[in-house]
Amino acid sequence: MVEQVYNLDGIFGSLSDPTRRDILKRVGKHSMSISDIARSYKISFAGIAKHLNVLEKSGLVFKTRQGKEQIVTIDPKALLVVNDYLKKYERLWEDRLDNLDKHLKSINKEG
Amino acid sequence: MIPIKEVKFERTYDASLEKVWKAWTDPEMLKQWWGPNNVIIPECEVDLRVGGRIYIVMEAGEAMGPYKGTRWPMDGKYTVVEKNSKLAYTAKAWTEGQEATTQIDQVTELSLVDDNGKTKLKLKSTINKIGSDAKMAVEGMQQGFNQQLQKLSKYLS
Repeated sequence: MVEQVYNLDGIFGSLSDPTRRDILKRVGKHSMSISDIARSYKISFAGIAKHLNVLEKSGLVFKTRQGKEQIVTIDPKALLVVNDYLKKYERLWEDRLDNLDKHLKSINKEG
Repeated sequence: MIPIKEVKFERTYDASLEKVWKAWTDPEMLKQWWGPNNVIIPECEVDLRVGGRIYIVMEAGEAMGPYKGTRWPMDGKYTVVEKNSKLAYTAKAWTEGQEATTQIDQVTELSLVDDNGKTKLKLKSTINKIGSDAKMAVEGMQQGFNQQLQKLSKYLS
């Protein structure tokens, strides 16, 4: 098994920007060239390229070359990391609130 | 600032407001239910007033195998204390020995409402910061790809 280490700070940092989230949604449907992505936004090409660099650095997307074009593809591994982490937090609270229920029932019995 | 994650829960407990409030604010009671399974609470401090401290340490028990003895402290301050009704605190939590890199900043808000002798509990907990070194091994990455994307769009929307 290959163990890959992701930087959660970077992942969450890059998800905190609405444009980057939007880019990620588009790229999530299918891989796109940078110019195709740029066409969908009012921001400059350079601005989009910057956002893509942030996404790439955090591991959420990767780029491949196809002739003159650079193609952007979403990386599912990084998403697994995000979900895994957030799920754990949710689970912790779920368990805790279940335990509270048990606890309250046990003290009720004692009167 | 956009929070990293917000979780919300609603539960109804078959107990009076006073009892639920006590379970959340009496350290001896907190110790009994705060930890998830296989985790013990060796330390719990509550200074129940706005600005007062909430400090709870979770410690991995026998059943957690290699993690046994790992300690996860949470240290925070109450921001709202309204007896039998509202409780909120801000806190940081971390893995002992790796505070700088595993820290999670969170805000938790609780509200209790009487519902014919039962208690309706609403809880919201928000993560605002996660340390940079929460590394995880990722397996089985191709399976679940679509599933992950569906989940992601939920998370993004």
